[in-house]
Amino acid sequence: MPDFASARHLPNLREGKEPPDKRWLPRQRRGITPQMVGRYPDYDVLEQIDAWDPATRRVIEERMRAGGRRLTFFTTAEERTLRAFCDVAVAQDEEPRVPVAELVDEKLAAGRLDGYQYAGMPDDRDTWRLVLRGLDEAAGERFGAASFADLGLTEQEAIVVELSRGNLTGGTWQTLDAGRAWSVCMRMILSAFYSHPWAWNEIGFGGPAYPRGFMRMGPVGTLEPYERAGATHEDPARMAPRLEP
Amino acid sequence: MRPTFLKGAIGPRANDSRFLLDVHHRQLPGEATMRRYRDDEEVDLAVVGAGAGGSVLAQRLARRGWRIVVLEAGPFWHPDEDWVSDEAGSHRLYWTQKRIIGGADPIEMGKNNSGRGVGGSMIHYAGYCPRFHPSDFETFTRDGVGADWPISYGELEPHYRELERELPVAGQDWPWDRPHRYPFSPHPISGGAQLIWKGARALDIEFRVGPVGIVNGTFGNRPHCIYRGYCLQGCKVNAKASPFVTHLPDALAHGVEVRAGCMATRVEVDASGRRATGITYVEEATGRERFQRARVVAIAGYSIETPRLLLNSTGGRHPHGLGNGEDQVGRYVMVQGADQTAGRFPTEVRMYKAPPPEISSEQFYETDPGRGFARGFSIQTVSPLPIGWAEHVLADGHWGRALREYMRDYNHWFAIGVLCELLPQADNRVTLAEERDRYGMPIARFDHSRCDNDRHNMAYARGVITDLLRAAGAQDVLSITRYAHLIGGCRMGTSPAESVVDRHQRVWGMMNLYLADGSVCPTQGSANPALTIMALSSRLARHLARNPA
Ligand SMILES: Cc1cc2nc3c(=O)[nH]c(=O)nc-3n(C[C@H](O)[C@H](O)[C@H](O)COP(=O)(O)OP(=O)(O)OC[C@H]3O[C@@H](n4cnc5c(N)ncnc54)[C@H](O)[C@@H]3O)c2cc1C
Ligand code: SF4
Repeated sequence: MPDFASARHLPNLREGKEPPDKRWLPRQRRGITPQMVGRYPDYDVLEQIDAWDPATRRVIEERMRAGGRRLTFFTTAEERTLRAFCDVAVAQDEEPRVPVAELVDEKLAAGRLDGYQYAGMPDDRDTWRLVLRGLDEAAGERFGAASFADLGLTEQEAIVVELSRGNLTGGTWQTLDAGRAWSVCMRMILSAFYSHPWAWNEIGFGGPAYPRGFMRMGPVGTLEPYERAGATHEDPARMAPRLEP
Repeated sequence: MRPTFLKGAIGPRANDSRFLLDVHHRQLPGEATMRRYRDDEEVDLAVVGAGAGGSVLAQRLARRGWRIVVLEAGPFWHPDEDWVSDEAGSHRLYWTQKRIIGGADPIEMGKNNSGRGVGGSMIHYAGYCPRFHPSDFETFTRDGVGADWPISYGELEPHYRELERELPVAGQDWPWDRPHRYPFSPHPISGGAQLIWKGARALDIEFRVGPVGIVNGTFGNRPHCIYRGYCLQGCKVNAKASPFVTHLPDALAHGVEVRAGCMATRVEVDASGRRATGITYVEEATGRERFQRARVVAIAGYSIETPRLLLNSTGGRHPHGLGNGEDQVGRYVMVQGADQTAGRFPTEVRMYKAPPPEISSEQFYETDPGRGFARGFSIQTVSPLPIGWAEHVLADGHWGRALREYMRDYNHWFAIGVLCELLPQADNRVTLAEERDRYGMPIARFDHSRCDNDRHNMAYARGVITDLLRAAGAQDVLSITRYAHLIGGCRMGTSPAESVVDRHQRVWGMMNLYLADGSVCPTQGSANPALTIMALSSRLARHLARNPA
């Protein structure tokens, strides 16, 4: 039985900072979450869509249509590596997936950038292309693969951990600061992933709250009528194989 | 302390914005019937930037009968349609035109510190409205660091008081330094803020509720806050103060034209080189270059754009840009060290409810020799939404599976932040880069590095908030190093050798060119800057009304 009062599942408090296998979590029973796991199996933020103002609703509905859209900024050759990288960066290893690659592509195609560029770094759009090329090079150099996308998850994670620490060198990385490039890409990936209602379901976020607002602010643990507490017990019939955290 | 008035009962004397707003929609009243001026008509005042500083200046002087045009690069907002209750969807509110960032500690721009559009950065500021402390105006005399202002706290105090009524500011009686009261009562606080309060008690750290520019009760036609937590995405409720609701309605009612979608590219001067004649700007919709004549020119584009505009206004007697004869324009730009630390609690906290600005402490604001560095910091609640929280988790070194695990734990976390006073340094400056924007103007480059005092202050402050969260019962803590707010770049002073404007914010050597924004501040204290920027503009307006240039 998962116990959310304890913090045993948090990576910083665990051996080797390794998170538990996601199968310690209940499967989603209501609505959709990425990979159908989450902490709020009976909560679907989209059931509240009628309470959102029209402008907000339009923006979010448009975002939810991004899945499967043809990419316009990235080339077909870049697409596989892009998808593999986006998957590893936020651990999306199976369907359903938040369409991170599509959302990133759309942002770059529209030139919706963040308004700053580190001295010595290229434009964010060029940085993305270079990162994908650099990932393929690293895959070749370390594992003899033609593309980052051809690697297994463990190998992909091994490369990304080096990228995140700014440790990739050689080839493309000669001219590109890996640590800065990582932050450029992650900014966009995280903003895509956590802008999606499926991710809000996974983390139990209340979502847009205009015009209704939140009326129950405390004491801690107080819920709005439509919010759901983290599930501490599940319907055993629907549960994935259980591991202890 | 002066005898106080009934809280919430009395508004400002000379500002009707709250009554002009409409209860049923959020549009800026008066847009359709707004007065228009011709380019070749010499208006009394042309202002660049409809933000905190520019809007207050325009509103004040319009009431004195001045004919005023405000040029604003960004859009004229229609909040009901343009703003959303959503993080990623709020991208348009930010100044996202490219800027180059350099130095040993580069400052990330965009959503973090500058807005673009009618209302300026306060459209998406958090809403904290503290005053600076008297010591902020004389850090050099008191602590041997930074710079003294050519004006004192006392000169701003009446303007602070007036603006606190106009916003209006809600909070508990303020005990620190120069004690004062707020016109509106403190808001109720969330369960998360109560946890912090409890932890602080255990460490003998005093907190107070507020001060926030958020309506508590009603204020004219502005409603009570609905605690939805999207203050940094623009308040669709009209509860949070910004010039869009606090000063521009009154300004428009008194004949101000706010010309949106107009990017100023140069301030023009006459043959003498001492008098500004008006502003050259590019009209976004047509791409056409135009020129607005004006008797007095005020620039209020904030700490990056104001220096950029001055530096770009070269020619004749000003080969290095206006006010830059002594190479002072763009120097001493400051940010605040704004590390945030989040704590994990056994119960669900749900920090997305309630406005992020709830409670704050100025106990560590002043220099304490025992800490081993000069000046200090303040502590405030910050409550990031999911994307902000993801950036926080990433900064602690987690991505992929570990990041997802922390993200799923969101509802058990509560975050607080510090604002550390970082010292003004000549080489923390705005310059022009090679690259040009679509108006043909060189883009700005901002270099920033911390000094030892800055690093010590930030390390100490992070220790305090980490201890505080532990004392509140946190099981795990995650931290992010970051910076917030911009100040300086064209500081005021007593001589052109070490400043850009005089004590009345007039550019040295110019008869009728003023700066009316955060760029003029020589130091920044540990307080959020918006209220002070507005108070400075209010003071400037009084000066101009009495001494028409
Ligand atoms: C996320 C965030 C949170 C914040 N939180 C707080 C807080 O809690 N409390 C607080 O006190 N402060 C806060 N601030 C800071 C505060 O908003 C700013 O300090 C303040 O608004 C600056 O006022 P200003 O008049 O100098 O500039 P702005 O309000 O930024 O106004 C400048 C305006 O000029 C326009 N402009 C610039 N250049 C040109 C040009 N060439 N031509 C035409 N127009 C131009 C811009 O588009 C902009 O609208 C926050 C800021 C941000 C971004
Ligand atoms: S929490 Fe209150 S002040 Fe903030 S955006 Fe919502 S209604 Fe406005």
